[in-house]
Amino acid sequence: MSHFNDIGNLMHLYLDEIDPGEGTDAPAFLIKATAHLLNQKGGQNSVPIIVKEVGEDKYELIGNSFIYAVAEEAGLERVWCIVTDGKDDTIEVTQVLAGEKIPKINLSKASRDEIAAALEYLIEQPGSILKTVKLAIATNRIDEAPRQYWKTFEPIVNLKCGITKGKKLDALKQVFYLTPQSMPDTITDPDILKTMSITDLKAIAKKRGITGISKMKKDALVEALSNSKPN
Amino acid sequence: MNMTAISLRSALQCLPDNAQEPIVDLHFSTQLLEALGFQPEEIHPQYATGSKMVVDKAARKTIGNDIFLHTKSNPYLLVELKGRDINLSEGSAQYHKTVNQLKGYLLDSNCKSAQWGIITNSCHIQLFRKHGKVVYPATKCLSLDLDNIDEIVADIRRKIETPTKALTIAVYNNKGGVGKATTAVNLAAILTFLGKKVLAVDFDPNQQDLTSSLKLAVSKGNVYKALSDRDIELLNTVCPYSFPLKSGNAELRFDVLPADEEMASLTDDSLLKQFKRNRLYQKLNTARQKYDYILIDSPPNWRHISQLAVYAADVVLIPTKHNNLFSLENAATVIKRFIPEIQAQKANGSPIPLPIFFNGEKITQPQLLVAQQEINNIIKAAKQEKIDLLPYFYPRHTSAKDLHIHQVPSYANIASAAFSRVPAVYRDRSAHEYYKDLAKEYFLQ
Repeated sequence: MSHFNDIGNLMHLYLDEIDPGEGTDAPAFLIKATAHLLNQKGGQNSVPIIVKEVGEDKYELIGNSFIYAVAEEAGLERVWCIVTDGKDDTIEVTQVLAGEKIPKINLSKASRDEIAAALEYLIEQPGSILKTVKLAIATNRIDEAPRQYWKTFEPIVNLKCGITKGKKLDALKQVFYLTPQSMPDTITDPDILKTMSITDLKAIAKKRGITGISKMKKDALVEALSNSKPN
Repeated sequence: MNMTAISLRSALQCLPDNAQEPIVDLHFSTQLLEALGFQPEEIHPQYATGSKMVVDKAARKTIGNDIFLHTKSNPYLLVELKGRDINLSEGSAQYHKTVNQLKGYLLDSNCKSAQWGIITNSCHIQLFRKHGKVVYPATKCLSLDLDNIDEIVADIRRKIETPTKALTIAVYNNKGGVGKATTAVNLAAILTFLGKKVLAVDFDPNQQDLTSSLKLAVSKGNVYKALSDRDIELLNTVCPYSFPLKSGNAELRFDVLPADEEMASLTDDSLLKQFKRNRLYQKLNTARQKYDYILIDSPPNWRHISQLAVYAADVVLIPTKHNNLFSLENAATVIKRFIPEIQAQKANGSPIPLPIFFNGEKITQPQLLVAQQEINNIIKAAKQEKIDLLPYFYPRHTSAKDLHIHQVPSYANIASAAFSRVPAVYRDRSAHEYYKDLAKEYFLQ
């Protein structure tokens, strides 16, 4: 179905052949005023809309939805478009490049500087829910935590850096994702052990042949494991 | 040794005047690395410094069975080559571009172990040292010719074979009251906490803030004597500061060279007769091999004592206050005039200024805008004198107009630490985090 030779081409397509998808959040003023300007200055959108081909003379918008909205408002019959292959990776990159989506970084592996930059971005957003978070403190504590093993963002709550469960923690998901390593059974570092659940700790303790496990509380388990030799 | 010396000279002699990078690579870089003491299996061409970038050459001596060409692990020296068509004379646009390129490689993820970087196009050569996160010149950008190349390369080889352990940091702003002593003492304390061996030098004999903030005794002439007498070892006058930890018998400990009250009473004239500008630098010779960090608290103004402190340093850390225009203007003066004055005399390319940071009260958005306006004016004025201050005020500014300036907020707890005679970072959790952040932002990789 896809005409692969069109990919990467700049094409002057009929606006009504393009499905706008979700549309844009841009304020009405910007759309109207830009449409007015565009009409006055010749009606050619010099920044193209990014689309993928979905059928014969049928396209779907994947990037620059603002320009689509402007063209619609301006009453343009045809718009300049770049036709892409429409793969998921292409769609993601296009939306990030068009500034329509925030890129995410891998918190499991990110460097300290990357974490600091991402947190700074979130904190400095207008009206940010994280505006009370101290950048230096949050960066230090998250960077030093055993985040390579985190399966969720929950352990951040325990770092006491002003990021509490709920909206604040959820805000981090805008910029971070996790690709956790499995926790090796050989761990003896108490700081890492503390972040594990009791069930996981008991499973490791059993493997290492520690006795009296069923009566132990978490602190005791952590201590026993940090002093035990991995098999 | 003699053989390689001849071949490096003849390599240089054979290069065509307009040799481009591939020619310099083929006919010069191999001989250069050989003259620097590296065997062919100790050199990796087109070395991936991280996930994206590739440097022309990386080298490391073989350790046991670990041959660098095979394992590609822990590079020690990186070399960025250019052709003769690229002008690498100091100050040219291409020179700045190449230096920044080298810095990017040295700080990349596969190069944590790298300690040295070289840029050369066979007409010019410059050696840089990397200490933690700090990259600073270890030679000036030198012009190579047939007569000096053997000597210059032998000198570079000597340097890379015997690296100094310490990074020497002068904390300086010729404006007073910007928190120089507080910065020096808390950085010393947090670096110690992070496992580094630290010497803090109180070189402000009039205020003696660093010494007294740790409740140590001021030197009554001993330090002055050790500085003036060539036969007295300066390190013998050092006092330890120790802070007991709650758990067990452990303690945190760093060394302090206390302020000397005798030096306070001397005029600049009489100091000038006693000390040349390089005296503190010379006297810290043994200390540079003993410590990881040497932090020097220097007095305000640009008097002889400050000059000794800045001369002794590899890098100059300049605290400023966002709400004090003079501290910003003076920072610019330090970068434009004082540091180049010392560089010209010291002749190894150091010291270099680090980007300024804001030390002080919490900054509101309108205050920040005012400070940025002042800084923009300062940068604009410097541009008229053909000096680019942008990287020292806005280090993250590229085509993206990132106006980030590092901040260390001071508040009651940091100030009151001076009365309790314990560094704030050992008493207060927030202070601890802020100075750790400062140390990691500027110094630790």
